[in-house]
Amino acid sequence: MSANRNGAGGHRDAAMTRGQAAQARSRADQAREAEQRRGEQAGDAEAVRPPALGTPASPGPWDRAQEGADVALHERDWGDARWSFLYGPDTDYASAAESDVEALRAAARDARTGDPPKIVQGQMMKPPVWTWEIPLYFWFGGMASGSSFVALACDLVGDERAARVARLVAAGAICPCPPLLIADLGRPERFYNMLRIFKPRSPMSMGAWALAAFSGSAFGAAGADLLGRRRTAQALGGLAATVGSYFGSYTGILLATTAVPVWSRSRTFLGPIFVATATATGAAAVRTALSAVDTPEAEPTRQALGRIATGAMTVELVLSEVNERRLGRLALALHEGTPGRLFTAAKWLARTGIAARVGRRRLPSWSEHVGDAAHLTAALCFRYAWVEAGKHSARDDEAVARTARARATAAEPDAELTVVEDR
Amino acid sequence: MSIPHAAPTEIAIHRPGAQRMGFFTDTTTCIGCKACEVACKQWNDLPADGSVFRKGGSYDHTGSLSANTWRHVRFVETLQPEGGPTLPSIPPTQGQHDWDLRDPGSWLFMSDVCKHCTNAGCLDACPTGALIRTEFETVVLQPDICNGCGYCIPSCPFGVVDRDHDDGRAAKCTLCYDRLEDGLEPACAKACPTDSIQFGPYEELVDRAQRRVTRLHEKGRSSAYLYGAGDAPGEELAGGLGAFFLLTEAPERYGLPAQAQSPEQENLVPATLAGVGAGILAAVGVAAAMAFGRRR
Repeated sequence: MSANRNGAGGHRDAAMTRGQAAQARSRADQAREAEQRRGEQAGDAEAVRPPALGTPASPGPWDRAQEGADVALHERDWGDARWSFLYGPDTDYASAAESDVEALRAAARDARTGDPPKIVQGQMMKPPVWTWEIPLYFWFGGMASGSSFVALACDLVGDERAARVARLVAAGAICPCPPLLIADLGRPERFYNMLRIFKPRSPMSMGAWALAAFSGSAFGAAGADLLGRRRTAQALGGLAATVGSYFGSYTGILLATTAVPVWSRSRTFLGPIFVATATATGAAAVRTALSAVDTPEAEPTRQALGRIATGAMTVELVLSEVNERRLGRLALALHEGTPGRLFTAAKWLARTGIAARVGRRRLPSWSEHVGDAAHLTAALCFRYAWVEAGKHSARDDEAVARTARARATAAEPDAELTVVEDR
Repeated sequence: MSIPHAAPTEIAIHRPGAQRMGFFTDTTTCIGCKACEVACKQWNDLPADGSVFRKGGSYDHTGSLSANTWRHVRFVETLQPEGGPTLPSIPPTQGQHDWDLRDPGSWLFMSDVCKHCTNAGCLDACPTGALIRTEFETVVLQPDICNGCGYCIPSCPFGVVDRDHDDGRAAKCTLCYDRLEDGLEPACAKACPTDSIQFGPYEELVDRAQRRVTRLHEKGRSSAYLYGAGDAPGEELAGGLGAFFLLTEAPERYGLPAQAQSPEQENLVPATLAGVGAGILAAVGVAAAMAFGRRR
């Protein structure tokens, strides 16, 4: 290494043959000449230098220092990096002796495990940038996949009319999804890049493909119904329900697969919670649509849908409760501020929906519609609350720091931390 | 020492002969001059942040890494501010004072940058393939492909990548990929006057960093340790960091997590199994409830 110390300025005679040195010299000369030519062509000095204020978020354009030059890579030994005084024989920057790797590992382990330090000075991580479009998309997507489950179930029990209505609801609910997703992009005109690759590792990529497959089959099924192709509609409806079992849950998987404490620590709960909400909204929406097309109230499908919506919402409430209890310190993000208010509203709405179902014999007949509306609104509030809670949690430096030290959930040991406000 | 390598299944540029390159940032020699920030902005044509003290209790006026700030010298004031989020008063250096300007313990500087993780959360998350692994095993975001979906942002456990509000695309440090291809070292490392930022082949860099820590331990600074390199297998941060640091305080003091892993590699399988399982269960449950209603 020391033989190459002067690599950038002088020539590394010890390491180079005479021929190589001459070649390097001529390369350097050529580069200088090219630079001079460019300067002359540009006319004045100002035009040569790029402005300090440039295009945000994109690196400046660049030319190779030398037209058609080889890519240097490591052959040049990165001599450019070796000018420093730090590596001179007369400095004691680094120990000459071989390092005791185990001792170094122990030092790092001491600093990175065990109790956190008393003070945390953020910003620990960046909050998600998603705005209102994303939770609204989650809601519509959930409704569509829930309706596709209902359509499949109606086909299986032989209620063709209800199946047709459910397929129409699924196709209708999927309509606003692509525009909402595209509107949330930083560069909406490049939305097609979402289908540029197929990447099983990225839930966002898989979700884009699931959306494409789901909307294709849901539209196909609704179209086949309009054309009177019963078998085709049933087959496409079945395909939509199959894709829907991922499409309805991937939104939860998408949130769980991030570094945001409250989302990642709910990783096995978010998917099931989102599917439960999706099923409830799908059943409630189809039931409302059925009553709009004059299906009698006592009709068994309509009754079954009421049961499904209430049951799914009950499952969602129970899962949320269990999850909140096990989250411990992280559940603060679900209780405080905007997400806290949204969660409270969502839970009361869900309870209203359940109550309307339980007391249906004593309540007037329109209470059924109140119950469905309560379920649908509750689901919307749940979606907004979960997305907002993620932003809240990512901004909570203490939560991020404790999660990294496994000191965040109820099952883990508690810790005292002081956060230096840093934003 | 064995160099950590990224999974071969990643979207990557391969070039024979290229080796892993990285940054070693030694916080014990950083003087907080911010020359690296300026050099980075100049080379990459990034707009300025403005000279406003935007953080309470700190003299740092950059704030944090962002879409337009790819190097950020973090000021960690260990001086105690006198109540409230005010700037700590620095006593005059002449005459009587009880605060030693030469004591590095009073003020820590750390030039923060994208970590270029072996298991990169942003790269795993990117649905468009805009984020790729280069032949130098760094992580680069291609601005001509990014559509600004924003999924990389919560997927980075270090809070590095960010979306520019006006531009709409995500952006982060490229480890000066354009300079590397021409055999030049990154702009920040070139500009660093104290060589706090060092650049080189990964293996060499880790060896030098380890020797540096050994020297500091010999001198009695036993709190020095490497953040992100040379860890025992299974204890690495995100599989080992391409840009690693020499720190003297707990990582949280610098806003760094004590443990980190690509969220995709940590959570994807359990989350997907639970989610898809629940999805199938829901579809079956709806059919069962419908059939149950029929029979009655």
